[in-house]
Amino acid sequence: MEFDVCVIGAGPGGYVAAIRAAQLGKKTVIVERESLGGVCLNVGCIPSKALIVASHFYSRMQHDAAVMGFEIKAPVKINAEKLQSWKQSVVEKMTGGIAQLLKANGVTVIAGEAQFTTPTQLEVKTTVSHSTPAKTEIIKAKNYIVATGSRPIEIPGFKIDETQVLSSSGALALKKLPKKIIVVGGGYIGLEIGTLMAKLGVEIEVVEAGNQLLSGVADPDCVQVVTKNLNKLGVKIHYNAKAVEYKKTSNGLEVSIQINNQVQKISGEKILLTVGRRPNSDGLNLKNIGVQLDEKGFVKVNPQRKTNLQGIYAIGDIACQPMLAHKASYEGILAAEVIAGKNRVYDPKTVPAVIFVDPEIASAGWTEAECKLHGHTDLKVGKFPFAANGRAVSLMETNGLVKIIADAKTNIVLGVHIAGPEASQLISEAVLGIEMGARLEDLAGSIHPHPTLSETLMEAAEATLGHAIHIYQKPRSHA
Amino acid sequence: MMNAETQEVRLPDIGEGVVEGELVRWLVKIGDKVLADQAVAEVMTDKATVEVPSPIAGTVKELKVKEGDTVPIETVMLLVQKELGQSTKPQSPETKSVQTKPIEPQEKKIVATAAPVASEINPPVADTKVLATPSTRRLAREMGIDINQVNGTGLVGRVTREDVLKNNLIKEVISHPKSAMESKIPPSNTTSFVYKNQNFGSSLVEEKVPLRGVRKKIAENMQNSKHTIPHFTLVEEAQVTELVKLRAQAKEQAEKRGVKITYLPFVIKALLATVREFPMFNASIDDSAAEIIYKKYYHVGFAADTPNGLMVPVIKFADQKTLLELSHEIQELAQKARAGKLALDEMRGATITVTNIGSVAGLYATPIINHPEVAILGMYKIQDRPVWKENSFVRAQVMNFSMTCDHRLIDGAVAANFMKAFVNRLENPSVLMLDMI
Repeated sequence: MEFDVCVIGAGPGGYVAAIRAAQLGKKTVIVERESLGGVCLNVGCIPSKALIVASHFYSRMQHDAAVMGFEIKAPVKINAEKLQSWKQSVVEKMTGGIAQLLKANGVTVIAGEAQFTTPTQLEVKTTVSHSTPAKTEIIKAKNYIVATGSRPIEIPGFKIDETQVLSSSGALALKKLPKKIIVVGGGYIGLEIGTLMAKLGVEIEVVEAGNQLLSGVADPDCVQVVTKNLNKLGVKIHYNAKAVEYKKTSNGLEVSIQINNQVQKISGEKILLTVGRRPNSDGLNLKNIGVQLDEKGFVKVNPQRKTNLQGIYAIGDIACQPMLAHKASYEGILAAEVIAGKNRVYDPKTVPAVIFVDPEIASAGWTEAECKLHGHTDLKVGKFPFAANGRAVSLMETNGLVKIIADAKTNIVLGVHIAGPEASQLISEAVLGIEMGARLEDLAGSIHPHPTLSETLMEAAEATLGHAIHIYQKPRSHA
Repeated sequence: MMNAETQEVRLPDIGEGVVEGELVRWLVKIGDKVLADQAVAEVMTDKATVEVPSPIAGTVKELKVKEGDTVPIETVMLLVQKELGQSTKPQSPETKSVQTKPIEPQEKKIVATAAPVASEINPPVADTKVLATPSTRRLAREMGIDINQVNGTGLVGRVTREDVLKNNLIKEVISHPKSAMESKIPPSNTTSFVYKNQNFGSSLVEEKVPLRGVRKKIAENMQNSKHTIPHFTLVEEAQVTELVKLRAQAKEQAEKRGVKITYLPFVIKALLATVREFPMFNASIDDSAAEIIYKKYYHVGFAADTPNGLMVPVIKFADQKTLLELSHEIQELAQKARAGKLALDEMRGATITVTNIGSVAGLYATPIINHPEVAILGMYKIQDRPVWKENSFVRAQVMNFSMTCDHRLIDGAVAANFMKAFVNRLENPSVLMLDMI
């Protein structure tokens, strides 16, 4: 079969690339070995959000409901199996939508495992199903977009088997809630799942190698808010701790952790291993056909997402950090348009990041440290707490703050960091602001509707300028 | 998605930063049957004239714009009713590229260059320091402008959309040898003045034609150049008898290899060899920075007369190309220019320009420099003339050359010395050979 564009991997990078390529008139095929939508839709972003919503709902029934005057006579029980089937229905709605979109755009979809035989030819062993026997398809395409994503990293002594040692996928598919989970790795995936489990009543113990949670992915002020709340939820955190091995005991699993050369044993029912993800660049025969990889295993790409081989592009987790679905989608569109002859490059000023812990963390732009790295030595930093926002109070979600970092000379907004209710929704305003080169005055001078959480951004901008209304700030000068 | 019965045909994004075009003429009328991809309209932009194709087969139902109208891109131009019972592929209208869109060469370029990782992206990716909105960054990219180099006039140095558009205008200055203007304007384009006194009382008949598109661009560029540069022109004749012989031989050989060799590549070779001796001819003046920029690369523009007006395609790195390669490239670029298919990139970046109007008429001319270049060489007809040599008149082939210079940078004596060295190379091909690549 011959095509203009062959996309390998139907995650949020790949399927978006395929649709755009087809929109641009290219004869397009997409090959997926598992399910349309990739990790994101099937075992990542979407199902985890479903469970997080459920856990939050549950937690509020436990705690906030009574304050608001609800008298719940019997304890609210969780049916984990029903919770799973609801989660699955959410997933299926989304993946079904993708199948329809691909079809409507005239994209050929092939289920199977792909491998390059030459830099211009692909061999696909199609997936066996009740209607189709296994066979081998040969695909020849003028352009390939490799979007095969990433998978969890394993560490010595901890092999993911999804019964004792779980990956995020396994943890999100538990049909029975364990009593206790030991989370190895205090990054965003481990903490998202750890938090939701804790809110569902599962005991959580986190083993973190560094001296703080979410290191390198979130602003320290935001991390502090979340860490405090984890303590409140009863989550135990071991810092500077290395998970060495685990063994099965009569009443569960026993994990040996090493802190400052001292070995401790902690026990739990399951282990969740979330120490990071690695690009799936060892598949597809990529190395043998000569695609260059960097030392971390990412496919080397240029700002147009071209690899060193002519006609082969790579996008998403396999191409570079950050491993985020929305970055992959952006690159998918980019690569498809480059193939169609448009002059495009990867040039966003910021890739926002959202972490669905409690409260949510979201950020756009740089942290203070990153600002300095980029030569902005003179900074203005302002914060505004959600506790001073009427909407947050009425939601009973006052934990957190909005922090804005700006260049002191120009007042150009360089970074916005939010820990608080709906931070993930609020951050897009900051993204637009940073992309448009907004100054503090632009945020402060745009009327934000009352009463909403979004007012915190306007107030934080005012605070950074030194004169927020709803918190008291000492006047900077009366010149 | 569209209404299943009729499809709107829009003026596609022609790329290269073009935002609108003038509908020159309809190629179809209401009721006409059209095939998919059939051209339905001719639209003139400030870059070239393009044909707009119909994305589907069907019948023309309605024409939404009038000839002569200025049409912004994405405007619905006409409605086409689908042929019933005909299977049409689900393609959005934008999938059809405009025929003359320079996407083709771009696409080829992308495929042809083995993509080295972190290869040169042209124009370069915007630096994190650049303040420009995503749409402005994209506009600059599509116009081939390096946004890092654009002077932002917005608040705290933002690069605005206007900054980019203005930058583009400056970049596209096209030179204008006067005579070329008068040479071959197709009769249909010439305004028909009615001069004869036909007793219309005292009324003088005039026709007003809007100054638009390529013509407008040429007008602006010429005005800018003449306004900025104090021009002077030096004229010399060269006895090119030897060159004529050499070229005749080369021509025969080249034809076997499918290439037509004219005098232009020889002249370019002699010009560049001389420019190496006189670097101020391959320079420009940056007025705002009060700096002279000496360029260490040689991109030669050559004036091409086209139905749309003067175009100046550019041979990049001309000094590194053989005569055969130059000839081939000249042929290709000239063809593209005449067809209105030159990509913007192929018309920009010249460091010095040659205008060749010798084949038409004129002893010599006083061309206008292609600002910000500082020199333009004119070459004229080769004629048989009696030349006094060793006590007798002999028949010789003589060719006139003019060198027009920017007097801010180049003085008359320098130009004279330049001309002497240049003519020496053309008169004695063996000297020319010494510097040949």
